[in-house]
Amino acid sequence: MSDDLSASNTLLEVNNLSVHFPVTKRRLFGSDTQMLRAVDDVSFVIHRGETVGLVGESGSGKTTVGRAMLRAIDPTSGEVLFNTAAPDAAQSQVAVHTLSGTALRQFRPRMSLVFQDPYSSLNPRMTVRDIIAEPLVASGLMKDRAQIDARVRDIAARCKLNLEHLRRFPHAFSGGQRQRICIARALVSKPEFVVCDESVSALDVSIQAEIVNLLRDLQDEMGVSFLFIAHDLSVVAQISHRVAVMYVGKFVEYAPTEKLFFSPRHPYTHALLSAIPLADPDANFAPIRLKGEIPNPLTAPSGCRFHTRCPFAKDRCSTDVPEWREVAAEHFTACHFAEEFDFSRPNGNASEIPA
Amino acid sequence: MSRLLSVENLTISFRTDEGTITPVQDVTFAVDKGRTLGLVGESGSGKSVSTKALMRLLPRTASLGADTKMHYTAKDGQVMRIETLSDRSREIRALRGGEMGMIFQEPMASFSPVYTIGNQIIEAIRLHRPMSKREARAFAIDMLDKVGISNAGARIDQYAHELSGGMRQRAMIAVALSAGPALLIADEPTTALDVTIQAQVLDLMRDLQRELGMGMIFITHDLGVIAQVADDVAVMYLGSIVERGPARDVIRAPKHPYTQGLLAALPSLDTLSKRLTPIPGEIPSPNARPSGCPFHTRCAQKIAGLCDRKIPREVVPEPGRAVRCWLYDENGRAVA
Repeated sequence: MSDDLSASNTLLEVNNLSVHFPVTKRRLFGSDTQMLRAVDDVSFVIHRGETVGLVGESGSGKTTVGRAMLRAIDPTSGEVLFNTAAPDAAQSQVAVHTLSGTALRQFRPRMSLVFQDPYSSLNPRMTVRDIIAEPLVASGLMKDRAQIDARVRDIAARCKLNLEHLRRFPHAFSGGQRQRICIARALVSKPEFVVCDESVSALDVSIQAEIVNLLRDLQDEMGVSFLFIAHDLSVVAQISHRVAVMYVGKFVEYAPTEKLFFSPRHPYTHALLSAIPLADPDANFAPIRLKGEIPNPLTAPSGCRFHTRCPFAKDRCSTDVPEWREVAAEHFTACHFAEEFDFSRPNGNASEIPA
Repeated sequence: MSRLLSVENLTISFRTDEGTITPVQDVTFAVDKGRTLGLVGESGSGKSVSTKALMRLLPRTASLGADTKMHYTAKDGQVMRIETLSDRSREIRALRGGEMGMIFQEPMASFSPVYTIGNQIIEAIRLHRPMSKREARAFAIDMLDKVGISNAGARIDQYAHELSGGMRQRAMIAVALSAGPALLIADEPTTALDVTIQAQVLDLMRDLQRELGMGMIFITHDLGVIAQVADDVAVMYLGSIVERGPARDVIRAPKHPYTQGLLAALPSLDTLSKRLTPIPGEIPSPNARPSGCPFHTRCAQKIAGLCDRKIPREVVPEPGRAVRCWLYDENGRAVA
């Protein structure tokens, strides 16, 4: 974990990022267009060599944040600033949100994506070698076949793939092996930033642990930063240096992992943590009962978006949008009453230190 | 406590183009009235197939083993021998739904998109209870209310796509419960739901079970869910139950190396940033089941020449518990 939080260590700066989709409803005469605010005014920073976890329930906009940062979706407004360390880069800070055409294509190898489902994200008609080499070929980064082969073999070995397997087709592999192929493909261009979108959610527990360990090792070796998107908080807790929580298109809290999990300030984070069933029969499982369902982002509630379900909601919450602010060092949250809440729970790490 | 269901030596084979495969082998378990049995295992371990066999819902290519016994005590006290019933007999049709209810993982796939929720609940009620349409409708609204669907009177006329995921799963539970089953089989009922919604549904299922005194089989791959809902647990690996016993004891002090590995691989919320401990290797495919103990290919404690040759028998290490592993002798004591 990097303790140096100086500006030179910043890899990505996301400022006021918003992604809105027009949703058109046909009527008998004419049509209605509404704006779906999938991501609304999100700002955060990712450091070099760091893993940022992004959690939230379905429809909260986690995937959209990841895709907008990679320019797989064009952001509606806001900035994504990328401080590249690549020696061949023309300038050190690239405004990813303004790139287009050739400039964007040439920049693409600097960032990458690992998907959720290792079954549907590998082309069954390509060999493993061709799958892993594709980012190099498609971006025009490398042209020499021998050079590409060397790079593919290097990354496959790092991802603990058997080099004999490079000639095979993906159908011959199990879920865990396929996910390693996907990771090798994402890292072959030596990107500085990789989005892992629910990359371990589809795997069985015993395999999942292995992939999480692999991602950590690769980060230590290559210094890559991860945005680790997941709905499973316990996996995020293990892999992330810092964690952001999203609710209906907005960040509600962003803090170093220990602070977020052991002393959260936002009532939603607290409720989310209480809802996780622990594999401990003596743990007191008393999830905070949230009223109702997750709101539709098309008709997001006014004021604080969580006020319709928040057990602590007051009048002010339904009218004023809470300010995104730093309530403690490196601990950001958006709740009017964050300073008054103390949701701390015992930290198992502390008790591990021998007395 | 009375026995509701006892399954002995359940073996299921499928005829396939590549020959016969046996995804479930010699599975033994029991469910008591008012208690929950958690069936836990990773993909391909045979959890779902085993419970489908209980309702005789297997495809025609499947066959049950010769010494398979599935005895169920019906609500009127009669013992039904499920393995002898024909797939289409009147008895098995009364059993499906009326005696045993089932909830599946993906509620969107279990509801018909062209009928309203109400239509489908009323159908289930009228199949198992002598009620007029009007009475059945009133009963259906009551059921929806009971599973916590607000404004049930209006929701009953909606279609499945108009409900949210959590609401749909509640409606599914209402369908299963409306026929008044004595045993509820829940196949990964919360896996597709978000955690806050999952907590709501688990809460609801616990309350309903307490109220109705049903027995329950809860299939899941999530040991956290098991720890919170199950009284007893059976851990499956590649078609065999490797360990079973009271949930608390099994999770606190697992005996089988697979259960130990599974618990160690689980990321914890209490101690962060510790390196996870995966179980080495991959889960073998069911058509290439290893000889001997199915887990020996990944087991760190395997005994060469024994585990890879002979299938371990089930032994009793403590009263109420059972484990299938060569690390324990006939009396269930650990072999040094």
